[in-house]
Amino acid sequence: MLSVNNLVTSYGLIKALKGVSLEAKEGAVTCILGPNGAGKTTLMFTLAGILAPDSGTVSLLEHNLTGLGAPKVLRQGLALVPENRLVFADMSVHENLLAGAFTQSRAMAAQVNDDIDKMYARFPILKARHDQPAGTLSGGEQQMLALARALMSRPSILLMDEPSVGLSPLIVDEIFAIIKQLNKDGMSILLVEQNATKALQVADYFYLLDQGKVAFSGTPDQLKNDDVIKRAYLGGG
Amino acid sequence: MDVLQTSLDGLMIGSTYALLGLSFALIFGIMRRINLAFGACLLFGAALAIYLEPLLGWGAWGLFFITMAGAALASAYVERLCFAPHSKRSGAVTAMIASFAIWMQLDEISSQLLPQRTHAYQGLELPTLWLGEISVRGDQLLHFGMALVSIILLYILLYKTRLGLLIRATADSPESAYLLGARVPWLGFVVFFLAGILGGVAAFMILSADGHITPLFGLWSTFKGLIAMIIGGVGSLLGAVVGGLILGLVETHAGAALGAEFRDMVTFGLVFLVLVIRPGGLMGVKVYRTDNAAQERV
Repeated sequence: MLSVNNLVTSYGLIKALKGVSLEAKEGAVTCILGPNGAGKTTLMFTLAGILAPDSGTVSLLEHNLTGLGAPKVLRQGLALVPENRLVFADMSVHENLLAGAFTQSRAMAAQVNDDIDKMYARFPILKARHDQPAGTLSGGEQQMLALARALMSRPSILLMDEPSVGLSPLIVDEIFAIIKQLNKDGMSILLVEQNATKALQVADYFYLLDQGKVAFSGTPDQLKNDDVIKRAYLGGG
Repeated sequence: MDVLQTSLDGLMIGSTYALLGLSFALIFGIMRRINLAFGACLLFGAALAIYLEPLLGWGAWGLFFITMAGAALASAYVERLCFAPHSKRSGAVTAMIASFAIWMQLDEISSQLLPQRTHAYQGLELPTLWLGEISVRGDQLLHFGMALVSIILLYILLYKTRLGLLIRATADSPESAYLLGARVPWLGFVVFFLAGILGGVAAFMILSADGHITPLFGLWSTFKGLIAMIIGGVGSLLGAVVGGLILGLVETHAGAALGAEFRDMVTFGLVFLVLVIRPGGLMGVKVYRTDNAAQERV
């Protein structure tokens, strides 16, 4: 579904991605693991069109996304939930969701309202807090809001950058349950996580990124038999 | 009766300050841009109107439209030149200093357009209305109405339309707005242009009520706009309106009670008090910040 081919992205002279190729399959949860500085967020930013790659291609369902810029990438069906959530803190929960539907045309107003109702059904806590400023929500609630806001654009694939960052263990469990449910309902997901244990519980396939390159890829089951990888990258366990 | 008359006069002047404060609040409070050149943009619009008036001969309404258009264009120019290249926090100081330089530039151009320093600025000639002992100048009543309509239109634009949602989202977190498909650079331009229009309308009302203009108007309007915003609370549009009204009332009452020479002293005393008692302003909004990215811009 999402094909990344030999992607190179640099900040000035520093190459953060040194030729990354990967594939996210339709209906699957694909996970990208790796230590700090591996290039995970750079990869996400390049896929979402925030950074332009030096070379390589990104394509989604046969459409070339390379170098389109974030607004156009979103219109092609790729939505990113950024790290640290970045909700519109001074705007209400409801307005945040409306803002998620910027790319929908005016004619879609009825559909947008339907979508908001669906989000409220999926995340009842957002319904309860619909007129509160988003900045007053807890971290977990903000993560749900950021997720719901990204879904409002009706993406065909959802990218999530470190959804567990800064959340307590119980909330992390809840967020991963939501990710699992979302995937069960048919959403294709590409997930970047530092919390490898959690991520591997939901992943169908994973890539291990190290120093801007794919160091390993496989199914979580394959990893069970590979102590070297586990010790080297995923902290023993 | 005198108190009532003075209060009414203060309210009339205050409504023009409210609109002026609102235009500053759009840029400083909503977009969080420290645009020092904004007052000079208003001066430029008014100076251009005075310069073109003898050539066009459109009278007071001509002054109105040219002041408004000139201020809006100058404001958009400042945005493109000083602020558009610096969308990140790291560029905020550079942008502010650049806008200070452009204040000087616009001041200088305006001085060239106003060679005699003090020029007459024609107002709308309307009869004074009498309600018993109380009188209201016709043009000031019209200004009050124009300010009210402008404020209501701005409210509808910001809070009831899709463009307004986009503007507020962009002001809140430009990164997220961009990720959700908003054309962030274009929206900054729109807000500066809009603020220029509102500020231009306010400048016309203030100058035509006074009947004259000098090249000091840029500095003067910066003072009044900032004071209205500080009293009301930076970041709150309602605060800017309330602050403007209070400023008008306090100025007029202080002038009537103590004489014109103490008017500004009283105003600055009020600013001092507000800063001591409520540093965030009377309607200071609680700003919700749970992440760093929203503070990427100053």
